[in-house]
Amino acid sequence: MSQLERLRPFGFESWGGFGTLRRELDELFDRFGTSTPARAVYSAYPAVNLYETDEAYVLTAELPGLAPEELEISLEGSTVTLRGERKAAPEEGASVHRRERPSGAFRRAFDLPVPIDGEKVEAVHRNGVLTLRLPKAPEHRPRQIVVKAS
Amino acid sequence: MTRVLHDSMRKPVPEEGTRPGPVYRPDADILERADEYLIRVDLPGADEKSVQVRFEKDVLSIQASAGAPPEPSWTPRHAEYQPGGYVREFRLADGIDVDAIRASLQHGVLELHLPKTGRRRSRSIQVAAA
Repeated sequence: MSQLERLRPFGFESWGGFGTLRRELDELFDRFGTSTPARAVYSAYPAVNLYETDEAYVLTAELPGLAPEELEISLEGSTVTLRGERKAAPEEGASVHRRERPSGAFRRAFDLPVPIDGEKVEAVHRNGVLTLRLPKAPEHRPRQIVVKAS
Repeated sequence: MTRVLHDSMRKPVPEEGTRPGPVYRPDADILERADEYLIRVDLPGADEKSVQVRFEKDVLSIQASAGAPPEPSWTPRHAEYQPGGYVREFRLADGIDVDAIRASLQHGVLELHLPKTGRRRSRSIQVAAA
């Protein structure tokens, strides 16, 4: 099924090549011009964005239709893994005219540049968007050094 | 089966001018049951106040705004998607009770129930001999 091909079951990526990804993404949007592109433009599922602050990494992913308890997030050192399944609701006695929404199991693992403080990870799943705040281990946070006059 | 719901979104739509950013054609499932049509639309990020469902001249249109933008203090490091708004239209044929359409939003998925009126869409007409 073509929808399943969009889900990459065992993806493991590091943050090495984001310049390239960025460019590809920009080109993708340019190509569509003013028409409305479908959302299914990225091959790995779910598509994620990563941000950095001084204290933490923030990972966001669009996972519509998934209840928070259906999403499994695990952390090991600096590797965070998202796992879950988008189930196509069984429709007994219904005929399907169109099925565009992807379904299937997914698993994506990301290797972050620094270890994460596992105790302080916060996950919020709101309106189908997961926001995962991953605080850096204390020794990897920037420290302000006060210079004293002697 | 006659196509009762006809997707009219192959052509570009004018973008909503209220917010910057892209506007997407969201993924949708269309199912038919004995008494209703069911449409599910993925609208990740959109909050229920921003979702507008309208029916005008046989066209059911769905619009939603993008969710909250990333906080200014977040430096982007890797991007695979760009949050945006959504627009999609479906042309409805006869046989749908427009006043009884129900809509709900859960976990970023809009669910629309479109009850059938039960009226038959076609009938044969007797031709009387002159």
